Amino acid sequence: MSHVNLLGRSGSDDQYELSAAVDVAVDSGVPHGRLLLQFCDAAVGRRANLAEIRAAVRRELGDTAAIEAAANIANFQRMVRIADGCGIPLDDRTKEASEGWRDQLGLHQYASAANTA
Amino acid sequence: MAFAYSDVNLPIRETTINAHRDSWERIARPGRWWTGAERVEIARLQRAARHFDPAKSSILPEAAVFAIQKLVVDNANLNRGFYDETITAPGMSEDRYIELVAVVVHALSVDEFHRALGIPLEPLPDPQPGDPSRQRPSAAEQKWSWAPIVPKSGLPPELAQHYGPLEWGANVLSALSLIPENLGWLHDLSEAHYLSFREMRMPDPLRAISRPQIELIAARVSALNECFY
Repeated sequence: MSHVNLLGRSGSDDQYELSAAVDVAVDSGVPHGRLLLQFCDAAVGRRANLAEIRAAVRRELGDTAAIEAAANIANFQRMVRIADGCGIPLDDRTKEASEGWRDQLGLHQYASAANTA
Repeated sequence: MAFAYSDVNLPIRETTINAHRDSWERIARPGRWWTGAERVEIARLQRAARHFDPAKSSILPEAAVFAIQKLVVDNANLNRGFYDETITAPGMSEDRYIELVAVVVHALSVDEFHRALGIPLEPLPDPQPGDPSRQRPSAAEQKWSWAPIVPKSGLPPELAQHYGPLEWGANVLSALSLIPENLGWLHDLSEAHYLSFREMRMPDPLRAISRPQIELIAARVSALNECFY
């Protein structure tokens, strides 16, 4: 979830609602955020509506953006497995920067939280 | 040629196509601890697992097959006990586990790109002949990952640069460094699918979606996988 931190840093103070990462009913404040979250959910969950959501992404954001979004999803399907397959803890800087919202987002319930003391 | 995308009406970047071809070439070549045939078999079982097909293997240790399935479909529940059992099982070791993880996750990432865009999966490569080199980096040390990792000073310059200013790199970068070649693979597919390590330090790198959109996707995929990191 280090990228929740990067999401926060990508805008001005409190510009984006970080809890949208764990609750898609929340408006992230990111342009086209809801559709991108739906794309993530459909692709990772291999849902029946994937083609429909993908078509909406292509229509609303364009083909190049749809490719970038798909590539991002693919990238993090890889990175989470590296992190949890190797049992790595949070980097010190991220650990410090995320103190304020880790509990709020319920991240300590994840099994892989055990890798971070 | 692999990844021709000739029937795909999408402007896929050359960097992405090249990284996919490179990934297939890397999978097919003998590694440090697995042969090319075994590495392609790991990629095949990864693909089967994503289809919830509990495929078996006649050439991989049973613990390797189980580890592949856990990494693909039950990654939220990986823990130290699983790792310890895997590396001490017949035919396995720390080094073989780390090489297996690298093949699984990179093959999975290429496949997931295709699935997300509705593109048929690329046939897996033909394995290249040859024996694994069976070389463990002498600088490997037990640090904060389950397996030993290699510091910047123990890597060749072309790979050491990926750590940036840190002797041990960011934890997720050094995690697979027991097989040093993994660093180049990690970087190149990151550049193709997300951002290069250099671009990651830029507030708004040139992409078709904005940095906040990129990070929202990253955060959501992490949440769906219950990844604390």
